Amino acid sequence: MAFFVARRLLYLLPVLIAVSLLTFSIASLLPGDLALTILADQATPENLAALRRDMGLDQPIWQRYFIWLGNVLQGDFGRSFRTGQTVLQAVAERLPVSIELMLLAQLGALAIGVPLAIICAARSGGPFDRFMTGTAFGMLSVPTFLSAILLIYLFAVELRWLPATGYVPFAEDPLGNLRFFVLPSLTLALAEWPGIMRILRSDMIATLQEDYISLAKAKGLTPARILFVHALKPSSLTLVTITGINIGRLIGGALIVETIFALPGIGRLLVGAILTRDLIILQGVVLLVAAGFVIMNFIVDLLYAVLDPRIRHGHA
Amino acid sequence: MIAAARSRAFAPIFLVAAFALSGSPASAQKAGGTITVGLELDIPGFDPLKVGVYDTAALTASSAIFETLTYLDANGKAQPRLALSWEPSEDFKTWTFKLRPGVKFHDGTPFNAAAYKANFDRQKDPANKCRCAFYIAAVKSVEAPDELTVVYNLVDPSVNYPTLVSYANQNAAMHSPTAWKEKGDDYNRNPVGTGPYVLKSWTAGDRMILEKNPNYWDKDKIFLDRIILKPLPDAQSRFASLQSGEVDLIWDDEYDADNIQRAQKDSKLTVHTYTGSGATVYAMNTKVAPFDDVRVRQALVMSIDRKKWSQAVTNGLARPASNPYGEGSWVKCKDDGALPLDVEKAKALIKDYGKPVEFKMLVTATPRGRANGQVLQQFWKNAGASMEIEQVDQATIPARAFTRQFMMTPWRIVDLADPDPQMYANFKTGSPVALANYSNPELDGLLDKARTTADTDKRIDLYCQITRLINKEAIWFWTFQNTYYAISTVKVKGLPKMYSGVIDVSRAWKE
Repeated sequence: MAFFVARRLLYLLPVLIAVSLLTFSIASLLPGDLALTILADQATPENLAALRRDMGLDQPIWQRYFIWLGNVLQGDFGRSFRTGQTVLQAVAERLPVSIELMLLAQLGALAIGVPLAIICAARSGGPFDRFMTGTAFGMLSVPTFLSAILLIYLFAVELRWLPATGYVPFAEDPLGNLRFFVLPSLTLALAEWPGIMRILRSDMIATLQEDYISLAKAKGLTPARILFVHALKPSSLTLVTITGINIGRLIGGALIVETIFALPGIGRLLVGAILTRDLIILQGVVLLVAAGFVIMNFIVDLLYAVLDPRIRHGHA
Repeated sequence: MIAAARSRAFAPIFLVAAFALSGSPASAQKAGGTITVGLELDIPGFDPLKVGVYDTAALTASSAIFETLTYLDANGKAQPRLALSWEPSEDFKTWTFKLRPGVKFHDGTPFNAAAYKANFDRQKDPANKCRCAFYIAAVKSVEAPDELTVVYNLVDPSVNYPTLVSYANQNAAMHSPTAWKEKGDDYNRNPVGTGPYVLKSWTAGDRMILEKNPNYWDKDKIFLDRIILKPLPDAQSRFASLQSGEVDLIWDDEYDADNIQRAQKDSKLTVHTYTGSGATVYAMNTKVAPFDDVRVRQALVMSIDRKKWSQAVTNGLARPASNPYGEGSWVKCKDDGALPLDVEKAKALIKDYGKPVEFKMLVTATPRGRANGQVLQQFWKNAGASMEIEQVDQATIPARAFTRQFMMTPWRIVDLADPDPQMYANFKTGSPVALANYSNPELDGLLDKARTTADTDKRIDLYCQITRLINKEAIWFWTFQNTYYAISTVKVKGLPKMYSGVIDVSRAWKE
């Protein structure tokens, strides 16, 4: 096991280096360099040359990359030129919001997807199954920004049950905090549950054809017990992977959802950094998020190995 | 009070219009309560050294936290705020302000001439490399001869200087020197001013809470207990938050025409709008063919149908501009010399020119920028000219403009209470922002004279001569006026005119 972890960690290294290279070059190759952005309407040639010299922007790009990487390795991701905040401060302030959003969205997606998958699998090919498969397909095609606006109009403007935008910290007002998260997490969950349902449904249909299920039926166990105890557990292995991969999709969705619902999370920070060309925040946050995602998937890999010995020993 | 409320309900449109003119009817003011304002962007902070320039969102907060020497009344005249009175020297190059005594910053530091000078010097000091220094380049120095006297020494004459320190921008807002020294890097997000509201708390990306300053020198004119500012970046959900009652007032702009027009029909909402001075403009580089020929320039200007253009991009909300001053300016011209819309004449001029008219125009690489570029492309195609769109990042436009690496570029004449700073910079021979590369002794003479003439009527006449000359030479053309929007529930009252696009809620109240 130790060998497996060590090997996986070794794989992680080139991935992280590639991520850092990509992040840095994206930020550096964007049209309109940092000096132009900072100087805006004062970008006279003299001012530009002076600022570029001050910021080291006149050095070759590979040299700037190594300086930046060196600082990053010492935990210095840089400072926003707009707010003076460090990247780490900004991320630390906003990370809890994004994590809560993703957790609630994932829970919501599971709460919708898992029961529907079980019901569909139990009566596969029946009218409900066909209806739900169709619905899931339809829901997969609805973009997040559309469902977000529709939910706002229905629940906030028309019915006035829930707030349209805003946020309150959990520590300050737990119930209020959850009220603000209902619509955003529902929006994300609506995009996620169809995938969960379809995967789990097909896995369960396969499991229900196994011999031990026939045996359970023959023993006279109730259908509910067979479904929830005997069929669900072995069918949910793929679900673990899907949940891991979904984090990437959720981060992408959070960009849009946090902007629409005005949640002060990482997604908003990124969108703001892009709009204001705050390249230091941009490259720092993208690097941190990408590294976070890579490490999450590393953990999922490990979990998988724990669940399935064949993977651990390298002959799956 | 009840009668007033009832009549308002029956005639909302009339009252909104009357209200905008008269400022604040004294009878309806009601103290107490909270106003929640939805802004577009996160506010980056308030330390001029850090943020350089305040944007619209920051200005709403700074108008409540900070104060300036003067403010503009409903007629655009400078009125006393931190200054009680002012006096120019004979050549208008020195302005002496007498300060209001007894004013204190929120942290107890006294506001006096030394504090004022400290603010100015901090911005001007080359060692601080403040981006904000650019905007006070016209001021040589600020002196503090005694406790309550501030003297501005200007590089060039300015007959209307007090109107230029009338809103809480990065330069004019007064910060507590003790606070920025004590807090250092943290001052940016912990601003301390003399204004009617004190910063209570600020959660990044979420909300800023301002509370009424109990020691404010003019506290009888302050009604709301609390102001909450929230960044709501998405236009649709921002409007929805207003409809659902979570916010009382939102910032908006004419590119969000659908929501503004919906709000205009909604009896529960009030649309506040103000057309300021200045305009969105384009400059042609007259050193480059085909713009070295006045016929080409005139032809291009004469083929632009601004009404159709406005209809295409803003549902008709954007207001066409025929001169650089705009409705909000005190410069009103009987004849501004604007070239008429005449496509046939344009075609004839181009034919007369004899060579094909082909050129490139800089366009910001945004949906709005592209839309505007395509509209212009179509107009000019109709007149027989071919324009190629060159998409560039917003940030590169100033640099390209300053180095004259363009044939035609979009630009903006910003909204200031006096036309001189902008007109002089944009059209005087040799100025870095004289983008047209155009030099005309007559124009230079008029510009020089306009900035040193004290009599308003004479100045108006001079500025009208200037626009007639520019319109005839067609070196720049104006497209739409600077128009600002805010939408609120009908309960929000007492919003002053949005000079320079600033939404100032510090003296508002809720019914």
